[in-house]
Amino acid sequence: MTTFFDAWHFDGQSAVRRKVEIQAIGRQFYLLEPELRHGPFHFDELRFLEAKGDARVYGLAGKDGWRLGVRGHVPEDLAPLLPASKTYGGLIDRLGLGKASLVFAGISAAVVAVVLLSPQWLAPLIPSSVEAKLGNALVGDFGGRFCDTPQGKAALAKLTRSLDDNPKDLQVEIANIDMLNAVALPGGKVLLFQGLLDQAKSPDEVAGVLAHEIGHVRERHVMQGLLRQMGLAVVLGGFDGSGGSTLNSLLSTTYTRDSEREADDHSLKALKQANISPVGTADFFNRLASMDGSRDLKDRQARTMASYTSSHPLSDERRKLFEKAVVKGSAYKPALTSNEWRELKTMCAQDKDVKSGWGFDIE
Amino acid sequence: MTGHEGKAPSAVTFHGSWTDFAKIALPNVLLTLVTLGVYRFWATTRERQYLWAQTRFIDEPLEWTGRGMELFIGFIMVFFLLGLPLIVMQLVINGLVFQGQPIIAGVIIFAMFLAIFYLTGLAYFRALRYRLSRTYWRGIRGGSDDQGFTYGWSYIWKNVVAAISLYLLYPWASMSLWNERWSKMSFGPYQFESNADWKALMKRYLLFYLVPFLIFVGAVALGIAAASSGEGGDPFSTAGGVAGAVAIFIGILGLYIVMPLAALLYYSKFMRVAIGALRLGDLEFDFTARSPDWILFWLANLAILMIAYGFAFAPFSLLIATDPTQFVQQMEAGESILSVGLVIGVLIAIIPIAFATSIIRYRSWKFFVVHTEAFGEVNLDRMTQSTTDSSSHGEGLLDAFDVGAI
Ligand SMILES: [Zn+2]
Repeated sequence: MTTFFDAWHFDGQSAVRRKVEIQAIGRQFYLLEPELRHGPFHFDELRFLEAKGDARVYGLAGKDGWRLGVRGHVPEDLAPLLPASKTYGGLIDRLGLGKASLVFAGISAAVVAVVLLSPQWLAPLIPSSVEAKLGNALVGDFGGRFCDTPQGKAALAKLTRSLDDNPKDLQVEIANIDMLNAVALPGGKVLLFQGLLDQAKSPDEVAGVLAHEIGHVRERHVMQGLLRQMGLAVVLGGFDGSGGSTLNSLLSTTYTRDSEREADDHSLKALKQANISPVGTADFFNRLASMDGSRDLKDRQARTMASYTSSHPLSDERRKLFEKAVVKGSAYKPALTSNEWRELKTMCAQDKDVKSGWGFDIE
Repeated sequence: MTGHEGKAPSAVTFHGSWTDFAKIALPNVLLTLVTLGVYRFWATTRERQYLWAQTRFIDEPLEWTGRGMELFIGFIMVFFLLGLPLIVMQLVINGLVFQGQPIIAGVIIFAMFLAIFYLTGLAYFRALRYRLSRTYWRGIRGGSDDQGFTYGWSYIWKNVVAAISLYLLYPWASMSLWNERWSKMSFGPYQFESNADWKALMKRYLLFYLVPFLIFVGAVALGIAAASSGEGGDPFSTAGGVAGAVAIFIGILGLYIVMPLAALLYYSKFMRVAIGALRLGDLEFDFTARSPDWILFWLANLAILMIAYGFAFAPFSLLIATDPTQFVQQMEAGESILSVGLVIGVLIAIIPIAFATSIIRYRSWKFFVVHTEAFGEVNLDRMTQSTTDSSSHGEGLLDAFDVGAI
């Protein structure tokens, strides 16, 4: 540490560096050059800018480019008048890096917890009219892809009635798209894709899948998931790159998997109440399992990794779940009569003015 | 006092050390992590303060006066003014497509694409303006009187022209945009002048442009040779099979080594020509990095990143390797303690990667400064304060996206 004291000044008007002496008079000071005096300035208006080695640089409030630099041992009478040095600034300097980090980590954990947990009680607060509007805005009439014949609709309505006590606030539709899938959307909308009906060997299969989607509606998963995704996107938006999105999918996937389990449980309960055999649904998952490869994967490790990264539980595990639920010797009745089942399966083919596929061609 | 005249052969020097920089970068990583990324604006500011302070022009260091808060506010504003409407538009487009309104959806998508294109150009301009207005030397700063709105349009139409020419005119587009951008900037009382000639880039650019064709032709020629010489038998035991394997090898080599190399050769030339044509008052600039410098620079960056990724994934492989069956059983049971472990694992994995990227930012700045030279004279009396507006709201708005200033 040098003991000499040295001060310099840039006036912010030109780039000329001035060697100065600081002359303090009360809360004011002048900067003295051999034949020139700058000031007066107020100590209160000095702002600490940066420290480099044993030098510190100050600015002056409202004076662009004005700089006062001091190096070395600041005289006793001057030291208390100069603003304190800052490393991080504000809160972190006051608490210290370690304590501040703990405080921030605590706040962050609390925020993430709120985002993850609050949708559970926030989603039911959203009025069903708002949810219905959102569902309509998202899907509408699906570009005329909903199939409609009186007999087919009647069969679908019967199926829905048998699986749910309050089918009025559900809107179940068959979409004329060749995809092995079904979705639950905001506003109690449930879409079954025609590809699923084509693949299905019995109405019991469709009943199990439909009951699963109704489970999503009844457990309020749709809005919950939407709120959670949005919340996580905002909270983790501060991370750039892949870190944030990895965390986001990791956190939301855990919840999606829980939701899927709940929907499966709901489906099993509904099937039991309707006295429909879960065997059909087990068959369905069996076929799905051979498609997604979860049955053939010998390597348990790889299988587990796959199940953790995919949002749905593995089809093979779900097959076991539905198989286990079968009560031996129980007098199950088919979900639909063979006549109704035929009408449902062929509804899209019979509907003359339904649009098909994903091609958004203009007619 | 009269201003002395500063003579300036190789007037730009760097005095930092990466160990000193690490003392800033490591707390930055920690604080960014525990604040879920919010601190990164302040982290950027602290990094720049160090890098600028270690950079000397003639005899005085640069000074960075940007603040974390202005970047943070800029980010929040962009999120609400741009991000949120974009998300809403996405939903609207989804709805329109499902409701069978593809034309309207298409028009909206095109308009959004145009808007984003425009804003990208604006962001490049504003980022440069912001950085100059926060850079001080001897109490004097830079800036621009231009808002960059016309530059946004130039960015669109020059890129469109480049695209129409099958990107043969890409060097013209990028160089004329560089000239346009820098000509609107100033430092102190002096306006930057930039009239770099894009034609000097064409030889390197054609090399880069033709590499895919050459690789394709080479692979096809070898493929034909393989087909004609390899008659029956096990394809990989014949000469034809070997030629085929060589063709595949050349293809991979071209894709992952020759292409990036050709791009680097072009970029190296671009920087030399572009900075070499820059003038500020009586000052002229030069950029001395040649292709081998660039290649070494990038290889080292790549090595640093790979080491960081190694550190990032080490805990995971350790977790699986120590007791695989236990790990699998717990996973299958879906134990929540394990997902907590995974989340913490990802958070910890961010540390080495974030640290490595800030070290790469340090190396980039150092590379840039070390290879920049300035010639000419600076009259300190005439180097007066910039009159450009520096306090306008949202100045750091688009710099929050860190598109890079050069
Ligand atoms: Zn589901």
